[in-house]
Amino acid sequence: MSESYDPEKETFMGVPRKKIPWWPTIDYVKCNFCMECDKFCPHDVYAHIEGEEKKLIVKNQYNCVVFCRTCAKTCAPDALSFPNKREITKLIKKFRSENK
Amino acid sequence: MDKKLCVLPCNGIDKSLGVVARTVALKLIELEPEMNLICPVLLNTNDERYETILKESNIVIIDGCMTRCATKLVDERNQKIFKRIFIPAMSKQFKIKPGTNLELNENGQKLAEKISIEIIKELKASEYDEISIEKKLEEFDFYEITVDKYYFQVPKNSYFFNENDCWVKPNGNTALIGISDYLQNRVSDIMFVELPKVGTEIEQFDDVGSFDSVKTVLDLISPCSGRIISVNKDLKEHPEWMNQDPYRKGWFAELELKNFDEDWELLMDGSGYFKYMKETITKEKEEMDFKN
Repeated sequence: MSESYDPEKETFMGVPRKKIPWWPTIDYVKCNFCMECDKFCPHDVYAHIEGEEKKLIVKNQYNCVVFCRTCAKTCAPDALSFPNKREITKLIKKFRSENK
Repeated sequence: MDKKLCVLPCNGIDKSLGVVARTVALKLIELEPEMNLICPVLLNTNDERYETILKESNIVIIDGCMTRCATKLVDERNQKIFKRIFIPAMSKQFKIKPGTNLELNENGQKLAEKISIEIIKELKASEYDEISIEKKLEEFDFYEITVDKYYFQVPKNSYFFNENDCWVKPNGNTALIGISDYLQNRVSDIMFVELPKVGTEIEQFDDVGSFDSVKTVLDLISPCSGRIISVNKDLKEHPEWMNQDPYRKGWFAELELKNFDEDWELLMDGSGYFKYMKETITKEKEEMDFKN
């Protein structure tokens, strides 16, 4: 992501992106650090840190496209999880109705 | 099935799921001896060896990871994929993890066995499941914009969009869904579709099938809730229709709507989506210019 990218200004369905807690959570017990998710994601959500015990981290959580969980399909050990879509939809609707 | 079948595994021997892909292919040959096995390494070095088989057969490909070597080998030869198996997805579906050993353990063998039986079952079912439903194609007005070499269209009326670049076109209590012209441009040539099962109940923003392009694999994120009542089976033979005519011939599935009055609150009409799309394109262009 370039320096011109400003997550503060990003919105999804009229809701500031930072108000929507949608991004992957890595289960480090299951993760085998194959990095398939990192290779797949075109939005630089993940980062690969060589030399660390946790070689994979979620670095740019707000870059994650709300409702997209395609990276989880690349994860053979099933180490990636996402929030409940119903809850996120409710939250988006609530924010929109309160900020009409 | 009129055509013969052939199977092309990725044969990725550096990952356990690649080894599963190879093992599944070998099991398929055991179960269906008339099926031809394609060696990806030989195919890559000697095109002529499999030229006739590829032309005359329905091709089943098996990929062990997102590098999708088998998919790419078929695509490079401009051949159509009849069925694509993605081993990580199957591993999840059957809840069997083969571990990381390159020599398959008991779980890996079990997974390969289950996948191969499932493939045979689905191939046999597809013999009776080839009905295509023709949807009436309408002419309509578009908003349009050209950016560099790309041309984008958004229908002015009748279509509603989510911010995941998917559309819904309601018609009474049913609706067609598909992807926008912007999304098909972004993912480039679509080579394969994984359609949802008829009868599946979905909520708004659920994943409804997926599509593979030369660049990536993406899910179609449904703009509305409902029950799948038909799918565009023609896309199996013509996935390129999603690129060529994304709002009409490239429709993905048809739903019986469940709660469109409420779903509609989180959708944009043609004019709203066109504005959103232009902003997105502008941002992307700024990003590209910055990088260059």
